[in-house]
Amino acid sequence: MPPIINNQKCTACGKCVDICPQDVFFGSERKKTPLITYPEECWHCNACVLDCPIAGAISLRIPLPMHICYK
Amino acid sequence: MKEEMVKADVLCVGGGIAGLMAAIHAAESGAKVVVAEKANTLRSGAGATGNDHFRCYIPEFHGADIRPVVEEVASSQSGWSRSLKFVHTWMEHSFEIVKLWDSWGIPMRHNGRWDFSAHAFPGGVLNTLKYAGQNQKPILTKEAKKRGVHIINRVMIFDLLNQGDGVVGAVGINTRENRFIIFQAKSVVLGTGNCVRLYQAPTPGCDFNRADPPSTAGDGRAMAYRAGAELVNMEMPRRWAGPKYFARCGKATWVGVFRDPQDKPIGPFITKPDRKYGDVISDAYPTLFSDYANSGRGPVYMDCRGMSKEDYEYMMYGLKNEGNLALVNHLGEEGIDIRKNPVEFMTYEFTTRGGINYDEKGETSLKGLYAAGDEYFGGISCAATFGWIAGENAAKYVKKVKASETDTLMRDIEMKKDWLTRILSRQTGVGWQEANIALQQIMQDYAGTVRTESLLKAGLSHVQRLKKKVHATISAKNQHELMHCLEVLNLLDIGELVFTAIMERKESRGKYYRQDYPFTNPLLNNKVLVCKQVRSKPALEWREVKD
Repeated sequence: MPPIINNQKCTACGKCVDICPQDVFFGSERKKTPLITYPEECWHCNACVLDCPIAGAISLRIPLPMHICYK
Repeated sequence: MKEEMVKADVLCVGGGIAGLMAAIHAAESGAKVVVAEKANTLRSGAGATGNDHFRCYIPEFHGADIRPVVEEVASSQSGWSRSLKFVHTWMEHSFEIVKLWDSWGIPMRHNGRWDFSAHAFPGGVLNTLKYAGQNQKPILTKEAKKRGVHIINRVMIFDLLNQGDGVVGAVGINTRENRFIIFQAKSVVLGTGNCVRLYQAPTPGCDFNRADPPSTAGDGRAMAYRAGAELVNMEMPRRWAGPKYFARCGKATWVGVFRDPQDKPIGPFITKPDRKYGDVISDAYPTLFSDYANSGRGPVYMDCRGMSKEDYEYMMYGLKNEGNLALVNHLGEEGIDIRKNPVEFMTYEFTTRGGINYDEKGETSLKGLYAAGDEYFGGISCAATFGWIAGENAAKYVKKVKASETDTLMRDIEMKKDWLTRILSRQTGVGWQEANIALQQIMQDYAGTVRTESLLKAGLSHVQRLKKKVHATISAKNQHELMHCLEVLNLLDIGELVFTAIMERKESRGKYYRQDYPFTNPLLNNKVLVCKQVRSKPALEWREVKD
């Protein structure tokens, strides 16, 4: 479940922890890779991806039940 | 639990579009302003990662006469539920806000000009300005700080403090640390947004898959009600539509035609993608998706095939600014090309359209209490405009009143604090999710699509019984869970009110339908249903909408 952090790229700057509207990262500590404590509470607003200073350090995985139905 | 006291002239509860605009204007008017925000104002509320349509009247686009725009907005947005004076004030001030936002760095022009599109019938009065709101929240936060506004993030305010017939502050919790905060303020502006999570989400088990932010759980409505302020139209339903299963606002950002599985357009308005008007059939026919699904004629597709290169780029620009980048990325990852693949749409869950009864000055029925934005549905431009107005009026109000002391309220405050401590200390209680699901189930089955006297009566008693049990047993392991517990308790109060109000409106009208009263009662024309708490019970009153 979303979001996913790439440990190789994440600099633990804490931006995503600061801004997440749902506080999915509750319990994260400063200067440490963020914890994804409440993944099921992600709103998929994309704020963490948008404001992350390192491209590819954080991404969203859209859960299967939310996948777009198309033809 | 640690305790902290914060003093201000004006306290803005919620730092979304309405709250920040109120804070900016109140501070400009000389007030000492504090914003208490449940998340972080940089990316919170329904405008968190953007919006792309701003309802407004621009003289150089619409001409000197404001009336056609006011009439269009009144009929499409507020119907009979708002006075024309309210809509007129909204439109009259909207251009002022557009110019302000543009000067602060929120791009309000598309390719250098005022560009209106969507949300209108072909030939109708266009009233939504296309803008690029992706960074509106960081920009508004910066403007607020520039004016000395003190923003306190990660605070959930859950109750107002009353003295006499006025409001003198509020109490809240820090959502990360075990801290209780007392706010002493001469005036309070509520801007906590929508009322999400009252009904079941479109996907069972994915309760946060919502078109509007799941953090906006009707806190403002509930605390205003408990403080004795009037709410209005709580019985009126509101439902959004959008991509099936990926709940998201921004239907009007899509440039395509709604078609059935045989590619036949559903509506009479357009036969090929048209970015200027979009396909308004889903506005004219709100039960379209469920009707097609239930009768076996579905699914209904949003079909963008045949769109021009320019329209495709315009739509992608719109989705990005409407805060739908996660959706755009998902389409890309799945190899879904909207120029080739029609996408299914659906109607999302119910909520109440009603909310706090605030007028064109942002005033509520309580002295010193103001409200704006989606405390009563109005969308982004309504939030910005009435936030601005409410902030100015709150600042004027505080100049007339003396600082109130909260000392006499200490006993009440201590009781609230003890109650929170009990919720945190219960070892074997009910979790917030369990309580929320139980409420949603009752709302869905007894006040959902089917609304009749016998169901409503039974449903109301179920909610009241549930409320007592939840109050006695709800438990939280940490501050985050405590925040959710308080949200669910707010939703329970709102659920009870929704039942009470539906039982009072014995008719059908617009999108409101009662199977046992399928007709419109002309005696209720131009009237709204107002409710407030009197001696711990909801008291209802029909009131004429004055122009």
